[in-house]
Amino acid sequence: MTTIKYVLRDTWRLLVHHWVLGVLTLITAGVMLWVLGVTTLFSLNLENLLSRLESELAVQAYLVKDNTLDVEAIANRIQSLEYVYSMKVYSPADSLAKLQEKMGSQSRALEMLGDNPIPWNFEIHVHSAGDVEPLVNALKAMPEVDDVVYAGLVVRRISALSRISSQVALIMFVLAVIITALVVYNTIHISLYSRREEIGIMYLVGATRSYIASPFVLEGTMLALFGAIVAGAGIIGAYFPGIELIRENMPLLSNILLTDRRIIWRFCALLAGFGATLGWVCSYLVVARFLNAITRPE
Amino acid sequence: MNINFSGVSKIFEPDIAALVDINIDIQQGEFVYVIGQTGSGKSTLLRLITRELLPTRGTVAVGDFDLKRMRKSDVPYYRRDVGLVAQDFRLIPTLTVYENIAFVMEAMSVPKRIVADRTKDVINQVGLWRRRGMRPAQLSGGEQQRVAIARALANSPSLFIADEPTGNLDFHTATEVMKILFAINAAGVTVVMSTHNQAIVNSSRQRVIELENGRLIRDEKGGTYTAQ
Repeated sequence: MTTIKYVLRDTWRLLVHHWVLGVLTLITAGVMLWVLGVTTLFSLNLENLLSRLESELAVQAYLVKDNTLDVEAIANRIQSLEYVYSMKVYSPADSLAKLQEKMGSQSRALEMLGDNPIPWNFEIHVHSAGDVEPLVNALKAMPEVDDVVYAGLVVRRISALSRISSQVALIMFVLAVIITALVVYNTIHISLYSRREEIGIMYLVGATRSYIASPFVLEGTMLALFGAIVAGAGIIGAYFPGIELIRENMPLLSNILLTDRRIIWRFCALLAGFGATLGWVCSYLVVARFLNAITRPE
Repeated sequence: MNINFSGVSKIFEPDIAALVDINIDIQQGEFVYVIGQTGSGKSTLLRLITRELLPTRGTVAVGDFDLKRMRKSDVPYYRRDVGLVAQDFRLIPTLTVYENIAFVMEAMSVPKRIVADRTKDVINQVGLWRRRGMRPAQLSGGEQQRVAIARALANSPSLFIADEPTGNLDFHTATEVMKILFAINAAGVTVVMSTHNQAIVNSSRQRVIELENGRLIRDEKGGTYTAQ
């Protein structure tokens, strides 16, 4: 109990004594974690949009016109390909009916074709946009497949966008971690340096390293945690009005965006946990390094 | 607590021999003066006992501990049994007299009531109760020295190390400090004190260990000292 009281009292002393530095650290950590949070949310929304688009991406494979083909065996072979998420098999009759339905009043034009020209075909859905190209290549390699139709350019753009979005999120994550870690590291180092004499005395009169280290580690953890809480408040304050704005101006996107408040609150709680962990790790590292140097006998 | 120096040398970089081949055996309950001129190696010897320094050669054993081989995690527990009074006092400037003394017990997670009682006891012992709320900078040199003694006493150590505790004090205050040290020793605590105060050494006739240029030149029970 005495130890806890000492740690809390001394952490408070450290925060008050270096309050300007503490506020700057908190602001920097807050801004970096806010940027990280916003980028992650943007990335999540983009991923949501892309997966929605990807789920609607279909590859249409048309078989050669040959009555002797074993359509079921071919369907099974295609189904077993790793890229295939789901598949629908259309007979020539089904395909014609579908086409007639699509053409509506103009469907009578199809009667001029005489025999049904549409062969057996498959509508194939993939797991992700990146699966389309290898699937198309695999289908084209099959002798029974006459033609493969797919939105090649769209697929390539979606794949590229997905990759860029992931890379940007990763870069922002790394940047936020590095900058926050450096700021916390420096602040704690300054706190330690300003009290190096005191730390030496504490060690000399029998205080353990963990006893000496605890207030400094708690200081770093709290600064990063408060920074993350500020970031979380900033995200909640900016995200929901932003969503409303998008809903008003781009109603088509409203079903795709993450709007569940519980998810956003959980995300902010996760961000706070991440901030506190980052602060703890950085403070622990700098304190351990400093104590090793200052307590090593000559 | 026994102290044993066996073939101890301490060489500082680049090649300064602070102590050379020291062999000393101090028994529990002894009062020992370590004397010698400035730079003779007195403080180095004491800092080897507190494990602020490690010997370059030889072994320093205190109680059951071989200080060179001691695990880092054992150092605080060892130091809790060693009361240290340094020439520069080494008080924590941001803490009051009371807090400086209570700190050593708080660091050991001693219950609050015991900390309060013991802190009051040792502050009274050195006659500073009325100054308990002051910070070190508000005290005179003699008062700071007494706070350092009170802090060293707080854990009831088995070994008391005092590095020139009277070095900055006037005769009257130095006599008061020595009275406290003799009282500590009378309670069975081993006291090792460095000094170059001739009057103090000669007035009490304790064991004298004399160093010169890092070498032990005299180890005499009931010895005297003539400063050069």
